[in-house]
This record gives sequence, C-alpha cells and structure tokens, in this order.
Amino acid sequence: MADLFSNLALGFGVAFSPINLLLCLIGALVGTLVGVLPGIGTIATVAMLLPITFGLPPVGALIMLAGIYYGAQYGGSTTSILVNIPGEATSVVTTLDGFQMAKQGRAGPALAIAAIGSFFAGCVSTVLIAVLGAPLTKLALAFGPAEYFSLMVLGLIFATVLAKGSVLKAIAMIVFGLLLSMVGSDIETGASRMAFNIPELADGLGFATVAMGVFGFAEIIRNLDAGAEMDRDLVQQKITGLMPTRKDLIDSAPAIVRGTILGSILGILPGGGAVIASFAAYTFEKKIARDPSRFGRGAIEGVAAPESANNAAAQTSFIPLLTLGIPPNAVMALMVGAMTIHGIVPGPQVMQKQPDLVWGMIASMWIGNLMLIIINLPLVGIWVRLLRVPYRLMFPSIVIFCAIGIYSINNAPVDVILAGAFGLLGYWLIKHDFEPAPLLLGMVLGPLMEENLRRALLISRGDWTVFLTRPLSAVLMAIAASLLVLAVLPSLRKKRDEVFVESET
Amino acid sequence: MSDTPVKSIMPKWVRGPQDFVGGIALMAIAVFALWASSDLQGMHGFSFGAGTAPRMFAVLLLGLGLAVMVVGLVSEGPHLATYAWRGPLFVSLSILSFAVTIRPLGLVLSAFASFIISALGTPETRWKETIIVGICLTIGCSLLFPYALGLPLQLFPRFLVQ
Repeated sequence: MADLFSNLALGFGVAFSPINLLLCLIGALVGTLVGVLPGIGTIATVAMLLPITFGLPPVGALIMLAGIYYGAQYGGSTTSILVNIPGEATSVVTTLDGFQMAKQGRAGPALAIAAIGSFFAGCVSTVLIAVLGAPLTKLALAFGPAEYFSLMVLGLIFATVLAKGSVLKAIAMIVFGLLLSMVGSDIETGASRMAFNIPELADGLGFATVAMGVFGFAEIIRNLDAGAEMDRDLVQQKITGLMPTRKDLIDSAPAIVRGTILGSILGILPGGGAVIASFAAYTFEKKIARDPSRFGRGAIEGVAAPESANNAAAQTSFIPLLTLGIPPNAVMALMVGAMTIHGIVPGPQVMQKQPDLVWGMIASMWIGNLMLIIINLPLVGIWVRLLRVPYRLMFPSIVIFCAIGIYSINNAPVDVILAGAFGLLGYWLIKHDFEPAPLLLGMVLGPLMEENLRRALLISRGDWTVFLTRPLSAVLMAIAASLLVLAVLPSLRKKRDEVFVESET
Repeated sequence: MSDTPVKSIMPKWVRGPQDFVGGIALMAIAVFALWASSDLQGMHGFSFGAGTAPRMFAVLLLGLGLAVMVVGLVSEGPHLATYAWRGPLFVSLSILSFAVTIRPLGLVLSAFASFIISALGTPETRWKETIIVGICLTIGCSLLFPYALGLPLQLFPRFLVQ
C-alpha cells in the first residue's frame, strides 16, 4: 500500500511541474479542436499531431500525447453527438443516443454528461491502475487464445443487443463486418486476400475509411433526401438548455458508476477491450433499464454509460500496454510508435527501469481528464451553436473535412474513393433498415478474432470443443449464449405487438 | 445502388420487400466474397490457410442473408424505400473529384471544387452564400492543414509550382 502512494506521489510530482502541466493543457486543447472537426476522428487527430511532440523530452512528449489523446477522444465524442460521425470504434455507441439527444435539442446536456462521465471514470481508473495494476496483469495473462476468442464472441453478441430492430439483421451486419475485415494481407501467410491487386487494399480497409463512409457520408446523403428537411430543422430550432438538469444528473450518476466499473475491468484485457467496454456498458444499461425502449431514442444513460466506460477502459488499457507491451487499439499503437521514437520500448521492463515515466504518465492522464473538463464545459455552448449553421452550408463543409481527413491518414486518394463507396453502401443499409454500428464492431474485432481462433485451434490440435472445455472460455461463451437468448426472446414477442400496431394504423 | 426495383414490380407473395431484397443483396455479397477468396489456400492439417476464415465468414453471411430473405418472404414488412438521386449523385461526385484532383491540382482548387459540387446536392443551395462560404472554408483549410498541422498537402496545382 505504501508503495502505491509513493508511486502516485512520484507520478504527480513529475506531472505537476509547470511545463508538463502546460504541455498537457496545450495537448488537450489542440486535440479537442482538431478532433471536433467532423470527419477527423481520434486516430486521424493523434496521427496528425504526433509530430509536434517529437522535439520534446520523453516525459513531456508522452504527457502531451496523453493530453492530445484525451482531447481527440472527447472531440470524437462531440462529433458523434452533434453530427453522428464517430471518431473511433469506442464512440460508435455514443452516436446511438447522443445524436438522438441532439435532435431533440439536448446536445448541450449530452456533451456535458460525456465530459463529466469521462472525468469521473478517469479519476476512478487512475486509482485503480495504481492499486490493481500488477495483480490484474496476471488475469490478463491467464487469457489464452481460446478465452480471447470467446471474449470477442461475447463482445459481438453485445452488439446485437444494441440493435433497435431485428436481431437477425444485426448478426448479419456483424458477419458482414467480419468479412470486410478479412480484406488485405493475411497475418500469417502474408497472402493478399480479396484485395484485387489494389495496393491500397493490401493493408486492409481502414477503420476510419469505413466509419466515415457508413456513418458520415451515408448520413449526409440520407439527410439530403426529400422529406428529411423536417428532421434537420428539428435539430436547429429546439435547443433547450446547455447544462444537464438535476434530473439528468440523477439519471446518469448510476450509469456513470456502472460504466466506469465495467470499463475498468474490460479495459485491462488487451485487444478490443475499450471497444467491447463501451458496447457492454450500453447493453447493460439497456437491459437493467425500467423502460428499455427509451434507448436509441435519446436516453441520457445511453451517453453517460458508454462514455464513462470507454474512458475508464482507455485508462486501464495502459496496463497491458505498459506491462505486456500489447497496444489495445489503433491509437495506443500510435502511442507505442511515439514511445519507440523516444527510445522507450513498452513492456515489463519499463515499469522497473523508468518508474517516473510510467507513473508520470498515469498521473498526467488524470490531469488530461481534468483539463478536458475545464476546457470543454465552457465550450459546450460553442459546439452546440455549430448546429445552427444551415444544413445547406454545413454538409458541403463536412464532406470536405471528411475528404481531407481520410486523405491525410495515408495520403491515399483511393481511401477517399473507398469512403465514398462505403457512403453509398451505408445509404443502402439505412434504406433497408440494416444498422451500421454492428458492422463496424465486426470489422474492428475481425482480425483479432481470426488470429485467436487460429491459435486456439492450432494449440488444441483442431479440437473445436476447446472453447467449452476451458473453464474461463466456457463461462464467457455461456454469458454470450444467454445474452443472445435474452435478445431474441423479447423480439419474438414484440413482433406480435408490432403487427397489431400496423394493422390498427 | 439506386437500381433497386421499385415496389410495383415486387410480386405479391413477397410480404416484406425491404428484407427480401436486403437478404438477396447480402447473399450476393457473400457469393462474391466466396468467389474472390476462392484462390486462397484452405485448411492444411490443423492450421488455417489464408482462405479459411474469409470463406467461413462468407458462408455464414450466405446463411444469414438467406434467413433475412426468408423472413422478408413470410412476414409482413415495410416496402422498399424510395431513393433520391440528387444527394447521392452529387456527394459521390464531389468525393470522387476530391480524390482525383488532390494530387495534381492541390488542396485549394480541389477543396473549393468539391465544396461547390456537393452543394449541388440540394435544391436549397443559395449560390452567392455558398460561394462565399466555400472561399472562406478553402482559405481556412489551406491555413489549418498544411501550416497549423504540418500535413504534407500541396496547396496549388503542380504545374504552377514547378
């Protein structure tokens, strides 16, 4: 225990130097400003801003990066809420209720709750990292390929529960996403799969490209449909209150706590932990809510829980990064890149050799969260005012930002065309009531799923029962199966009700 | 995308045309993926080949597409939605024009042109206003991306710079 406090004290000692505080503030501010441009998500923001940290000393650079990361993530949540474009996989869920809230004129409270939830989650998980870092790493080590595969299955099942409509169609979308993730080089053999000799496809479809297409461009195209004007004007005219009301706070407080707990636990697991965390937190809220039908129609818990969960998970996902050297998501992979440039190789030895760096970074993550809330609560009004820009001027601007954003990730014009194609696909999906969120999750988890499936089967010598005979894996599979049953049952029952509703009208 | 048949040509026995067509399209995608991955190596012994997982997911999607189609066949569902042509056409053209012109013509020209083309996507556009905003946005982007963020974007046409 004494160890813990001395560690945290060391960390805060490093992070609280005026220069580091300033770096963290600048990072968070710039990260927010760039991340909030629609179409430029967390990955693109961090990638764009990475070079500005190269000239700094390692600790300062990492602290500034943490600021940029949190700023970008929050900026990404802002665009999820305001214009329905998720900046990265973890904020896909935020669009479900956040954008609905914005449509109802409650963008202000949604943004504020996202910031407050993230801050709370950040505080709790900072302490958690310090207390549980070492023992929890052992848990992550107990996870073999079979367990990971089962965890991914569970994560994907979470996504079906998210769907507003048919469970069957949601599962179809997940599998479509998995299939899309297969495009590109095979990890083990290097064989090019379904890439049709297009060099830009050799690396696979980028998350940003697909997300910008099926969410961003598709949303724009749909909004241009005749008859959609009504919907848009609604967003612009009704803006009621910038800050959450007392009722909002009371409603979302338990959701924030639950989201934080779930996020902290799932974040420790390397590989998609943060993504699964936000989906799981949303599903959980929807399941325990007295009136689940509010979800997807602007429930504030639907913003509070996943935003807290993804922040908590982002925080605790530093544990596998620092202890095992495994980056849990694309942004963390960029961070590893940045560390390597500064001559730091993440892994178990960092914690022993450079404790000031590790603990300084953990402390600065908390400070980054604090900066965010300081910067963003006053800015909520400005972001919301953006919604008042007439749509005829807003949509061409979003198209341009998205195009520049996608182009700048790889400097590849083909990526822009691909995003456009996915925009048309997304438009078609919307017209057929297929939801894009499960598709995106399938795409993110696909490669990890395949890798772990291959490994698990190789280790078990082709025995498929391995997923049920290993206890941890069996538990995860059982949870997944029961969730699926829970998801299918009410939809069977509801179908009858819906038929009645239709015949009456 | 907009060549989906309108509801009038759907036979009467299709009770949920939206799901029916959606399911068929998914099956088509799955068949396409099966064809595209047919040249990849399959299982050898216990270990997966490059083509195993893609084919597995494609077969799964084929089955799910079939299920969605059957649901559309037997249960009452919504009709096909109508597609607008103007929005999709001009937004796609705008994206395409950006992709094609960014390399040779530079950010200034291609961003402004894309802005104007995508503005064609709605009849609500008022041209004077759109052109002014387009110019401002182009100037903003040219300052923000290459200078403030230091991205390697070319601003002006290649033949002018050289």
